[in-house]
Amino acid sequence: MLKIKLFINNFALNSKRINCKVFYFPALLIIILLNLNGCGKDLPENRPAGIESVNLLNQDSTVVKFPDAFKGNILLLTFIYTNCPDICPMTTHNMQLIQEQLKKVDITNVRFAELSFDPLRDTPYILKEFGDIRNIDYHNFTFLTGDAQVIKRILNKMNILAIPGDTSKTESGKIVYFYTHTDRITLIDKGGNIRNEYRGSKTDIQQIINDIKTLGD
Amino acid sequence: MMLFLSLLAMLNSSGPKVKIENAWVRPANKGMNSALYFNLNNVTSKADALYKVTSKIAELVQIHSTVKNDDGTMGMKEIRQIAVPANSIIKFEPGGYHIMLINLKRKLKTNSKIEFTFYFKTGGKVKIKAVVKKE
Repeated sequence: MLKIKLFINNFALNSKRINCKVFYFPALLIIILLNLNGCGKDLPENRPAGIESVNLLNQDSTVVKFPDAFKGNILLLTFIYTNCPDICPMTTHNMQLIQEQLKKVDITNVRFAELSFDPLRDTPYILKEFGDIRNIDYHNFTFLTGDAQVIKRILNKMNILAIPGDTSKTESGKIVYFYTHTDRITLIDKGGNIRNEYRGSKTDIQQIINDIKTLGD
Repeated sequence: MMLFLSLLAMLNSSGPKVKIENAWVRPANKGMNSALYFNLNNVTSKADALYKVTSKIAELVQIHSTVKNDDGTMGMKEIRQIAVPANSIIKFEPGGYHIMLINLKRKLKTNSKIEFTFYFKTGGKVKIKAVVKKE
């Protein structure tokens, strides 16, 4: 009887050891892989944005070193012009919704930037008005403008098209023109690498939030 | 003859008309542009067409459509008129058809109301008020 009890105890101990080797190691491997995913390995892109360091102006006319000022944080970047009546306000609204959602889940390492591809009209003052009328929370949300040639180089680097259409003049003398432009929000990780791109105006906000969570801290 | 034509026009415009529903305008600042959105609900058994919208709020008011190009870029084009088939709803919504308000004469504050006049080929004039609100 004693021998039987010893046999059962030994079997139980061995079983635990076997379980540990056969089951725990793969489980551990899966956890490690999941953690790696948590670092954003499974996002579709991982290439340097490669934007040269330039000086831009924000909505308060403060010089912002771009993109350096955003490194160390996840950046959601989009390109707009404030005379756009339809697409750009939609994109801005989506950025705002993402900002609100992230605030609710206490994710604080994300910055939002909207760079104007119409710097001749989009002065800091105009950008501020555009943001104010939308009640933008500027604590991590920045509008940017700057020298037209500098912005052109950024657009080229980011593969953003912004083509002005025919210009006309109203009776009051106001010059009117609209852009045909890329409709995109770009997700950039804290190391300055592009990790995903989304349509800006009609986008799946939850997917962007999930991707941000995947990038983690 | 003129009187006859006027009476005819009145008769034309006094029948059932296309309804303009859920009209709203995006907030914007003076001197900037905005857009008017709504549903055109043709509850009649006659086809109609919207060919003009006017308002004192902007220097220019135009019927536009947002279009997606083959290269993925987005642009706009002006439209001369939009057919509204009998018993149909045509939606003017963000990213699609909209009424462009160019060079606003004053700031469009949230919850304020803006007057517009719609002109239809068959149904004549329809006046509405649209509320200023966010998306």
